[in-house]
Amino acid sequence: MEIVVAVKPVPEAETRLRPDASHASLDPEGVKFVLAGYDESAVEQALLLKESTVGSRVRVLSFGPAPRTEEVLRAAVALGCDSATWVEHPSDLLPDAVLSARCIATAIAGPFSGLVLCGRQSGDEEGGIFAGALGALLKVPSLGYATNLRWKEPRGQLTLQRSIEGGLEEVESSLPLVVGLQQAWNDPRTAKLPNILKSRKAAIEKIPWEATVATLGPHAIPGTVRRTFRLPPPRTGAKMIRYDSPQDAAAQLVRLLREEAKVFP
Amino acid sequence: MPDFGLSEEQRSLQELARKFARTEMAPRAAECDRLGRFPEEVMRKAWELGLMNLNIPTEYGGSGLGLVDQCVIVEELAHACAGMTTSVIANCLALEPILLGGTPEQKQSVLTPFCSSYHLASFCLTEPGGGSDAGALQTRATRDGDHYVLDGEKCFITNGPHASLYTVFATTDPELRHKSICAFYLPRDTEGVTVGREEEKMGHRASSTSTVRFEKARIPVANRLGAEGDGFSIAMRTLDQTRTPIGALATGIAQAALDHASAYALKRHTFGKPISEHQAIQIKLANMAQDVHASRLLTWNAAWEIDHGRKGTLESSIAKCFASDAAMRVADEAIQVFGGYGYMKEYPVEKLLRDAKLAQIYEGSNEIQRIVIARELLRRYA
Amino acid sequence: MVVVAELRDGRLVEPVREAIGVARSIGGAGATVIGVYVGPPASEGVGEFSRAGLDRVVAVEGEPFARTTSSARARTVAELLRELAPRVVLLAGTSEGRDLAGRLAVEWEAGVATNVTAVEPLAPGPIQLTRPIFGGRATQGLELPGERAVLALRPHTFPPAAASADAAPVERRAPTLPQVPVGAPTMTGFTASATGRGPDLAEASIVVSGGRGVKTPENFAIVEALAESLGAAVGASRAVTDAGWRPSSLQVGQTGKSVSPQLYIAIGISGAIQHLVGMVSSRVIVAINSDAQAPIFKVADYGIAGDLFQLVPALTAEVRRVRGR
Repeated sequence: MEIVVAVKPVPEAETRLRPDASHASLDPEGVKFVLAGYDESAVEQALLLKESTVGSRVRVLSFGPAPRTEEVLRAAVALGCDSATWVEHPSDLLPDAVLSARCIATAIAGPFSGLVLCGRQSGDEEGGIFAGALGALLKVPSLGYATNLRWKEPRGQLTLQRSIEGGLEEVESSLPLVVGLQQAWNDPRTAKLPNILKSRKAAIEKIPWEATVATLGPHAIPGTVRRTFRLPPPRTGAKMIRYDSPQDAAAQLVRLLREEAKVFP
Repeated sequence: MPDFGLSEEQRSLQELARKFARTEMAPRAAECDRLGRFPEEVMRKAWELGLMNLNIPTEYGGSGLGLVDQCVIVEELAHACAGMTTSVIANCLALEPILLGGTPEQKQSVLTPFCSSYHLASFCLTEPGGGSDAGALQTRATRDGDHYVLDGEKCFITNGPHASLYTVFATTDPELRHKSICAFYLPRDTEGVTVGREEEKMGHRASSTSTVRFEKARIPVANRLGAEGDGFSIAMRTLDQTRTPIGALATGIAQAALDHASAYALKRHTFGKPISEHQAIQIKLANMAQDVHASRLLTWNAAWEIDHGRKGTLESSIAKCFASDAAMRVADEAIQVFGGYGYMKEYPVEKLLRDAKLAQIYEGSNEIQRIVIARELLRRYA
Repeated sequence: MVVVAELRDGRLVEPVREAIGVARSIGGAGATVIGVYVGPPASEGVGEFSRAGLDRVVAVEGEPFARTTSSARARTVAELLRELAPRVVLLAGTSEGRDLAGRLAVEWEAGVATNVTAVEPLAPGPIQLTRPIFGGRATQGLELPGERAVLALRPHTFPPAAASADAAPVERRAPTLPQVPVGAPTMTGFTASATGRGPDLAEASIVVSGGRGVKTPENFAIVEALAESLGAAVGASRAVTDAGWRPSSLQVGQTGKSVSPQLYIAIGISGAIQHLVGMVSSRVIVAINSDAQAPIFKVADYGIAGDLFQLVPALTAEVRRVRGR
């Protein structure tokens, strides 16, 4: 099976978020970018599928600027991906998910008959757009929120589960397919030290931005423009709920969460 | 050492160690400290990830890392738990004599199994009658045909109860002191080898420590490293290699203390503001930061010297001595920043002080380090 | 303006009504809001949709859609959009809606944004909107300069449109495009989540954590019951995991996991610093504690002081009531 994983370098979880000088985007200065979250699950899933099917290879692709993208690709190679492609863009470009999908689609190139895995949303912008956009560009079906991919050899079918509202959906599909991964059902593996050392020397195919622009033409610009990047105001202490009975307290809280905080599902 | 930055490779090693420390070590640190439990599962995982036999060359299946690389890893591990770290790096200490004194055949036969599956080894030098005065050791090695017969007792042996191999230093003639010391390796299941009970320690409680006794334990001559009388030099050269990572271990403890204290200072309020806004606390944190920074740079500097083929005796002694003294100061101040909470076991800082203390004592006490430093220093003026 | 319908068990899902509400509010008085339904035959659901505050409905019903996922419907939706030529398409921010958003953006060549929490009224020029990023730790202002836009809204953020007394006219069409390509993903089963495991702690949008105030390992069940009613992940303070009441993998805090969900509910957790550093970046924090002076109330948004053994079951019951199960 031909397995492609698309990953995006994102700030590590502990990053202190700060707006940049334009107040339009995250200030990347001093931020450590990593392979994380759903993307990590996608890589893990790719490797598990590779290990359970004969003759599979995993190619990891990432669209992003230097040096973070190369680092994330090397991390994926250290985990066990067989080859890596870096679709480069200038560091001042702020792409959106659709442009990312276009650039990755360009790098995948040709009629695609395998499996593409990616996180069901990125760890920073959290759009959940990429898988669908890439599927449409490659003209293959796509779905997100997937876990537990299994390859059924005799029939050449992939089975998976989708963790969606209200429960777990069982899905069966043939290839080609683009899948956005929910979290892995187990902890993603950690790269071993010798593999990290080897990954430092691995060859990484690099597609320069100029080449991507030449292929995409007028589509090589983001369809969305980032205008502001704001941090929430600091906390000032709880609004204490006064109540007559536990039921009253519960009703007040649910109402506040719904109407004021707007977090109630 | 003009470039103080880490390479991308070193950064990825640091990241691996940090991730391991956070996910595998830190969550167990308090429990292992309280119960004095040796977390075998953490050791096995460290081995699986290649974090254990850092100094073994790749030709034997090890990681083949330089000393700067090792220090970067050790600091990250010690940030989570110094006790576990001491146990993780004990193989480096125990196997270094084989790297330094072993023949190619000895290296192949001893080192390879350590890299192909999980085993622990212990370095057996210190004796109940003397630690720093290694020339005065009393464990006897008596030649008997193509064997040596070993008699004596070693103490404070890290991983002693869990090791499958011991590197042992013994004398053929105590009168000759260091000139008669030999280095051997022997499997734990050799007849006449007994492991004493686990020690109850002040700190490093996740690490396992015991005595190891040898009673008429027969070792083939083929298990001797180098010639008769090479043992003292092998021991000292081993400690030259492993002293610097103790500086890194101490730096890790100090960094943890600084991290905890700084985070706490920003959150804890007194007199209507976070204590981080009180100058008394700021001064403490600033002093702690200086200690941490200096410890790290001294450690990297010593490691860099040795990686570049120099002996680095002065540098490694300075690094080990300074960093472990600094770790005591920083852990002490971290407790002070936490106030009463810092004295409570529920908070992580009192453990750091207990752990830091050992770094001043083991692998050459800081008094010995100062003697070495003075000797190296004065030699330059003589 | 087009709003795409989503049905579950044959019924219109609530976030679609919210999308209709947004279409009305940003489009202004003169705007036409057309509902589009592409899916399996569903006369009841389409009827409900037609009374949800729309001007007209176009429904493409076909049996094969029943077991497909959104990507199979996207082509048909895009085909309708080319004909209806709206400025903005609004989708429910459900998993189906968000899966559809990316495909539509490409197939209909539109700008796209998901998880939208605010949209400026439409005016000449780019569409201005707001969305949370980094798990709610920051907010992004976005501009969609193109002529077409696909927006998926964050559920339960906007008020739903009022239902209309009269049904909007429904135009039913037979599917024209091949609905389900051979080998495309097909649904083969569904398990309702009551029996499933909760979401992962680090990624959950709601986390309910219990602390020492829960008093015994058996009592911890009230924390888990509340979590289940909310579809939330269960967390714990260090006191709980150290005591072995629950596994250390659930620990939130300095030596455990750092979480930043949309909603964090701390039950019987006093707010030791070691816990706070692991959860302060949560978007909304609720604390329930018997001690009104507990430091947790300093970082919480909403607090209830009192007997948690009464308050928590009452809250669970209220959540179940509101969520209708």
